[in-house]
This record gives sequence, structure tokens and C-alpha cells, in this order.
Amino acid sequence: MVTELNETNFDSFVESNHIAIIDCWAPWCGPCRRMGPIIDELATELAGKVGVAKLNTDENRAIAIRFGINAIPTLLVFKDMVLVDELVGLRPKESILEYVSGL
Amino acid sequence: MEADILIIGSGPAGIQAAIHASRRKASTVVAGKPSASAAAGTEVDNYFGAGEISGDDLIAKGIAQAESTGAVFVRQNVVSAAKDGDRFRFVLDGGDEVVVKAVVIATGVSRDKLGVPGESELFGKGVSYCAVCDCNFYKGRRVVVVGNESEAAVAAEMMTGYASETSWVHWNLEANPVLVEKALAAGVRMYGSKPASIGGDGKVESLTLEDGTVIPTDGVFIELGARSSADIAMDLDVMPEMDDSIKVDSECSTGVPGVFACGDVTGKPWQVAKAVGQGCVAGTNAAIYVRGAR
Repeated sequence: MVTELNETNFDSFVESNHIAIIDCWAPWCGPCRRMGPIIDELATELAGKVGVAKLNTDENRAIAIRFGINAIPTLLVFKDMVLVDELVGLRPKESILEYVSGL
Repeated sequence: MEADILIIGSGPAGIQAAIHASRRKASTVVAGKPSASAAAGTEVDNYFGAGEISGDDLIAKGIAQAESTGAVFVRQNVVSAAKDGDRFRFVLDGGDEVVVKAVVIATGVSRDKLGVPGESELFGKGVSYCAVCDCNFYKGRRVVVVGNESEAAVAAEMMTGYASETSWVHWNLEANPVLVEKALAAGVRMYGSKPASIGGDGKVESLTLEDGTVIPTDGVFIELGARSSADIAMDLDVMPEMDDSIKVDSECSTGVPGVFACGDVTGKPWQVAKAVGQGCVAGTNAAIYVRGAR
């Protein structure tokens, strides 16, 4: 089960993972619904190496505004608590794994 | 209206599916605009027995043939789709509702990119291809919706509920007039010229049109064509592939009972010959499914 983030656990999740990938999504977003199962698989495959979580931007607008999110799905990528990348749009699991291997 | 089968798409795949479904006595409605088919406006010279023929002529002959078997072509796009028990419920951009027992997705390949400078660079930085997904991020900001079909009209009207200013750019307006009126009544400002470029340094700041008009904006929502095959598929519980194609088996079944797909939407080769072959299979199997569902 992928961790669902919100105002209370967002920062601690980023702090407790050397690399954190956070899937910003909303229920009515078609591409987000397609990204969901990919994120579930990534969370399992990358367990122990990368922290993978989801953020419902509809329920957590303040965080979305804090990171200037304009489009979903967006993957926020943190390394040592620093936002290093924002990957916008639906993408295949393989390309995310390849991206992670280069971090 | 109620029917046995709705075929979404009126290109070669959808027309062939309609011919085979109707000849098996299934009442068949075909949605979509023939002019939106990839075959329209092309010359076809590699289709068995046809010699050299324009795509438009091929489609017109096919529609006449399908109509002679009883299929009804409504020439409207699907704006929403939903499963409703063992039925499928669709709303068309003319406002009609169609309730059917089986569906054939023959939408072809979605063409969603505008192809102007700035578009790919500013994707996610103000350029969006999904108004429904991203409208919430533009509360109190200025947006431009780009597109000629009803999908753009619906998006423009919806954006007025979020944005401080909503403009709509079109250059070959084919949207349903009722939906255009609704967008205008909601306060949408219309521009009638093709986009030339999207400007901005790190984020969208303006959209320039071919007639020289510059529209200052925070967001450009590109809503070309009809509702995408991927969106329709998901509404029907079919998960599309990453490239938006829809995977089918040799029976042209998507795996969801009563939902079939054929033609370019199922992947390459994007050829009339393959489209009609699959159309035959999909239309036949949809009719067989409906007979079992009666």
C-alpha cells in the first residue's frame, strides 16, 4: 500500500527518505488514474531504496501551491530533502526506473 | 435513444463494424464525424480492389452502404461515457443520449498536440492537455482554451468556474452551437485565428495568434478533436496502453464484456485494410454479444 501524504506527514516523509518520489494526482484526472497502478508497482519494486508516496492535490491544495504544481500527474522528486525535479505527465514505469537509477 | 450497439468513430473501422453489426440485425448507431477520420482528405491506393480512390469517397460509399443495412450515423461526437449496470450510457455533443448493450471503440488515433513553438517546452508550466485534470490550479488566473470541437467549448465553459478570464481560440469552429452559446453566456471571450506560438520564460505568459493578436495568459489548455479514446476507454473500465492505444484480443474484445475496439486505436499498422478487417471482427462479435445479452 503506497503512503498517502497530507499536510501532517508530507515533510516528515521527505525528511525520512534519501530519495522521495511523490505522485501528485486527483481522482477525476484520467492520466492520473493510469499512473496510479504504476506508482503502486514502483513502491513495491523500489522499497528500501526510494520512498514512493501519493499526494491528492484536491485535498492538499496548500502543498500543491507550495510546489507550484500546474498540471497532474506530476512526480515531485526529492533528494536529501531538496526538490531536484518535477516530472510532468503520464510516463511508463520503465522510464521512471531508468530515471531513478540515474539519481 | 436506445440501440443494441454504439460504434464510436465513423472512419473505415467504424463503418465496417456498422455494416457487419447491422447485417446481423443488431440496431446500430454510429457516432463521430467522418471528416475526423485519418482517411479523410487522403488518397488511398493500397486497399484491395479499390484502385486509386480518395479517402472521402471511400468513407462516403461506406456510409451509404452501412446506412442501407440499417445503421444510423448521427455525426456527433461523444462527450461522456459511463457504464450503467449491463448497459452503456453516452451523451453526444448535440445533447442526445444513447443507451446501448455493446460498444465498439473505433475512434482512431487521438491528435492532441498543437505543434507550435513553446508548446513542448512549457508543458506542465502552463500548457495542459487536460482541462478537467488541471482546472483547479488556475483559480483566479487567466487561461486560454484552444480547439475547434465541442470538447473545447465544454472546457472553456468549465474554466469560467475557476479562471479570472477565459479566452477560447478557434480557427475552424465545428463545436455544437448550443455548447458555443453556453460558453459565451458564461463569459468566454472568443478569438478566431490559429495559434502561432506560446510565449513565456519558465512559465506560460502569452499565446500569439497567426493574425498577430497576443493574448496574455497564465495557462493554455489544448483541447483538440473529440473526447480522446483513452478517456472514453477509462470511462468504460478499459485501461489504455501508455501510447493511448487499446489492447484487444483476436476477437477485438477489450476484456470488458460488451466493449470492443478496432482500427487505428488498437495500434499499428494504421492502414485502411487492417481497420476494416478488425471492423468486421468487432462488429460481428458485438452483434453476437448483444444477441446473448438479450
